[in-house]
Amino acid sequence: MTGLIIKDFLVLRKTLRSYLMILLIYAVVAFSGFWQASFVAGFMMMMTAMLPMNVFAYDKQARWDVYGLSLPVGRTKTVASRYLVVLILAALAGALTVAMGIAMHLAGRMQESLGQYLFTAAIFVVFSLMINAMMLPLLYKFGSERARMMLFGVMGVIALLVVVFLIPFGGLDWLQSLDAPTMEQIAAVPAVAVVSGLVLLAASFLLSRHFYGRKDV
Amino acid sequence: MTNCIEVKGLVKRYKTFTLGPVDLQVPGGTILGLIGENGAGKTTLIKSMLGIVRPAAGEVSLLGTDPDCAKEDIGIVLDDCFFSEYLRVKDVDSVLSRVFKTWDKGLYRDYLDKFGLSGAKNIKELSRGMRMKLSLAAALAHRPKLLLLDEATAGLDPVVRDEILDEFLNFVSDEEHAILISSHITSDLEKVADYIAYLHQGRLLLCDEKDRLLESYGRLVCARAELEQVDRGYVVSTRKGQFSTEALIRRRGDFQRLYPRLTVEPVTLDELMVFIVKGERA
Repeated sequence: MTGLIIKDFLVLRKTLRSYLMILLIYAVVAFSGFWQASFVAGFMMMMTAMLPMNVFAYDKQARWDVYGLSLPVGRTKTVASRYLVVLILAALAGALTVAMGIAMHLAGRMQESLGQYLFTAAIFVVFSLMINAMMLPLLYKFGSERARMMLFGVMGVIALLVVVFLIPFGGLDWLQSLDAPTMEQIAAVPAVAVVSGLVLLAASFLLSRHFYGRKDV
Repeated sequence: MTNCIEVKGLVKRYKTFTLGPVDLQVPGGTILGLIGENGAGKTTLIKSMLGIVRPAAGEVSLLGTDPDCAKEDIGIVLDDCFFSEYLRVKDVDSVLSRVFKTWDKGLYRDYLDKFGLSGAKNIKELSRGMRMKLSLAAALAHRPKLLLLDEATAGLDPVVRDEILDEFLNFVSDEEHAILISSHITSDLEKVADYIAYLHQGRLLLCDEKDRLLESYGRLVCARAELEQVDRGYVVSTRKGQFSTEALIRRRGDFQRLYPRLTVEPVTLDELMVFIVKGERA
């Protein structure tokens, strides 16, 4: 399984390098005070959400699936390795975001408070996990080309889920209150959101394993 | 001599194509050449044997066990190089050394040297022939006992093909090793295969020792009137031209004793395929 994870990162090597360059430019702009640092956290979310889709596209281009299934790894571990790649990417993106936030805070270049920044970063990471949780089964079921077209639908579903989830808390008014989150919100919301994201990812893994287990490649 | 490959009643159904039922055995220390026209089901057969596609029926045993349990000891070369072009040649080592317990980094480097492949090269920059060499190096570097090769020699120049065929012969000198190789280059199979299986429209039409096949079949060239005098039991199929008629003859030795005035030439695997596919059934 480690071999497959390494393969995904090696395949993504160039893309990661480009994303890191863009990130550096964004960070410099945020450091100069033109953008809020949270904007960079948003870019990280997009990166974490898009990279696994790129891996599927690269695999399809090389027809890796056919070869991959001839290896002594098995379908379940093959799917598990892809989910681990998603988690590693999310963890790396999260760590980078936090490191950048702390650096900006220490340098006194952050427009928002550190608590608010970290809160926003955590929410963004969770959004990326949610996008992956929904996209990965679609990618396994329909392949990268068709699944990519469903991305906007998935984003819509996530937005709807968030709204429905928030109804007991007062709906969108509560969401607006996050512009200036209370200490309780800063402490509780990211933890609840991260756990929800991970639970969703676990359910998504079972679905992906089901689809890939039956697939002829 | 135990069988390295045993396939019994294998069937794979698609909407417009059905493979099988296929029965096949490959004993240890031998090479089976799989021939057949494009779309005959050769790749589907190999994929079904490995569980890459799910067969509708049948049993497959590789190296005396379930295919999933045997994969550690199987080397695969499919009809293309399946490593992403974003990888470098040496990356294959980083990936597969963590997939195969028996991966031998030194052996992989030896094969790269032997095939003239630089580890630093991007796969994107390799020609088709070089990519096939890379696939072969990857298939051999974990010291497999069984090689499943789908068009592995396609796109290679004759010199390299000859070297690789020697490699295959060396590989099966161990009685516990075997190779199944599908190829359109039937001259390669005539050189190295011990058995030939001929797949046509998903059905296994022939499966026998290569020498016995090539000895028992023959090509009769004669006038149409002469062919009409021949016992139809010997004629597999015919091809009629404007001036002469050709026929694929079975039991060549018996036929020649019975018709000493007619000339029957040895048949090649290519001719055998063409006669069976394009000839008129007798």
